[in-house]
Amino acid sequence: MTRNEDTSAAIRGTAVTWRRLGEWLRPLAALLIMGIALSRASPYFLTGSNLASVAVQTSAVAILAVAETLVIVGGHIDLSVGSVLALCGVAAALLMSKGAGIAVSCSAGLALGLAVGVLSGGLIAFGRMPSFIVTLGMMGVARGAALIITGGVNVFGVPDRFAAFATARWAAIPVPALLAGAVAVAAHVVLTRTSLGRTIYAIGGNAEAARLSGIPVMRVVTILFAISGLLSALAGLALTSRLSIGQPTAGAGYELDAIAAAVIGGASLMGGQGTVPGTLIGAAIMGVLRNGCDLLRVPVFWQQVAIGVIIIGAVFLDQFRRRR
Amino acid sequence: MRGLRVVSAVGIGVALVCGCAGPKTEQAPVQRKLSIAVVPKAVAFDFWRSVKAGADAAGREEGVTITWRGPSDERDVAGQIATLEDFINARVDAIVMAACDSKALTPIVRKARAAKIAVITIDSGVDDPSVPIVATDNIKGARIAAATLAKLIGGKGKVGLIPFVAGAATSTMREQGFKDGLKSYPGVKLASTLYSESDAAKGMAVTENMLTSTPDLAGIFAANEPGAIGAARAIEQRRLADKVKLVAFDAAQSEVDALKRGTIQALIVQNPFKMGYEGVKAAVKAIHGEKVPLYVDTGVTIVTKNNLNTPEVKSLLGR
Repeated sequence: MTRNEDTSAAIRGTAVTWRRLGEWLRPLAALLIMGIALSRASPYFLTGSNLASVAVQTSAVAILAVAETLVIVGGHIDLSVGSVLALCGVAAALLMSKGAGIAVSCSAGLALGLAVGVLSGGLIAFGRMPSFIVTLGMMGVARGAALIITGGVNVFGVPDRFAAFATARWAAIPVPALLAGAVAVAAHVVLTRTSLGRTIYAIGGNAEAARLSGIPVMRVVTILFAISGLLSALAGLALTSRLSIGQPTAGAGYELDAIAAAVIGGASLMGGQGTVPGTLIGAAIMGVLRNGCDLLRVPVFWQQVAIGVIIIGAVFLDQFRRRR
Repeated sequence: MRGLRVVSAVGIGVALVCGCAGPKTEQAPVQRKLSIAVVPKAVAFDFWRSVKAGADAAGREEGVTITWRGPSDERDVAGQIATLEDFINARVDAIVMAACDSKALTPIVRKARAAKIAVITIDSGVDDPSVPIVATDNIKGARIAAATLAKLIGGKGKVGLIPFVAGAATSTMREQGFKDGLKSYPGVKLASTLYSESDAAKGMAVTENMLTSTPDLAGIFAANEPGAIGAARAIEQRRLADKVKLVAFDAAQSEVDALKRGTIQALIVQNPFKMGYEGVKAAVKAIHGEKVPLYVDTGVTIVTKNNLNTPEVKSLLGR
């Protein structure tokens, strides 16, 4: 590259970074306002113990939401994340309860998630099937598989050492929250600093143009879903540790929460738009909302209305800003 | 969940084809084996496995075929209705079922009875008083839970309640029974009611939030298995097992373990085996046109660390 090209690329890069920053400042402001309102309404909200609880309660969905962000930015959607979470969580739990070591069981669970993701991605990329349909089907297959291998019942006998992960703290921060944070940081680095990340944005923006400019779209899409499957499995392991049982019905509805988090955080379902920090803020908004409703004893049904309103509001504001 | 619906529809289709390939094709006047469908609220919990064991035992004694099928989630009302429609179309002789929702399942139950299929409800009934029910007296059981918890906290203090699914008959009855039972203990105040939605993760989250919002909480009543599993886990994580007393319904393995560890102080144990057993027995009677009692109370037993090893409790839990 010549010097001029270097410069303009750098300038463009900086401009893009600042624009992306702006995308998630709005949700961040919303989160801060919510936080302030809640800390006034309840003296227990802003305590270390409660904030740690919220972080742990939201960590599984946060990991799924990060996975969903990558997929959505790439112009696709993954409806199977909740079911894959359950499948891999119970698979690992079953292995551990039968005496296989923790490392072996977790590796098997992660490998299973990766395999499911590769399968979905392959069908979507090479089979040219819509991601909505493929992951919808995979959602049923994975959930059914989880119920089959457990006979529909919860798996007991998860070793205490494994369950201890979810309760452990490192520098006063709960381990599940650190895990979600690490996943988010890694994904953010990939999206903003690697060529893979640029490719994902390109594919999401205009898949045909990306293909014509030489990007191996099919390979990248497969990789996207493979990552999604892997992260879903990781979330499943985290949840199994937290509950100390393998629950085949776990994660039901989590995929919608994950997508909602990404959308609230600024991702567009058309593709090409979205950031990991924004998604984390979206996940935090939903987690804080639920926690706040419980603390203030707001009936659970109003929670659902509130979350729906926030999703619509977030997308509406985004469209409004774009039209100007 | 659409995908699951497709999978189960295919599965039911296969099952129907296999079923049709069986006795129905026989023309001979051989006595056809009676076919009874047993539909729980969900296949997922220990509780329902015991129901199945009881149903299977009665099925073996009576020489009838038991087909066990139910939703994987207690909230999947539409899924349960679809399953029942399939059984009606498959012309089973009787249905023994636990309703996911007392109102929503009433029309399909009436449809089954109109098609001359006997219907017996177990555990959770429908809003039709002419349909027999074999169940725990949940109101009474929850009153016993309230009394047990109140005594454990010395008759004074704040307590929390974790029912499961608003609208499910058993959840509503246990909620109501608990509140009724607390009336006899004016020193005990119900500080918070949060639903577990029959999901252990949600149960754990709402317990954590309950403990946060009411730091002087003295006791919790978890109305079913997943809520109890979540609540026990949350209490242990916050190391509050000595400060917060926990009373719960049902006796899944991890609940019994928690009882032994001292996290749970008392379990209100139902008799799901008897429900399945008596349900099928009543169904057979109904098929033969005999009169069936409208209500059979299968009773509750309070299980604590003290009576855990008595022979009665062991056999109750052993199933």
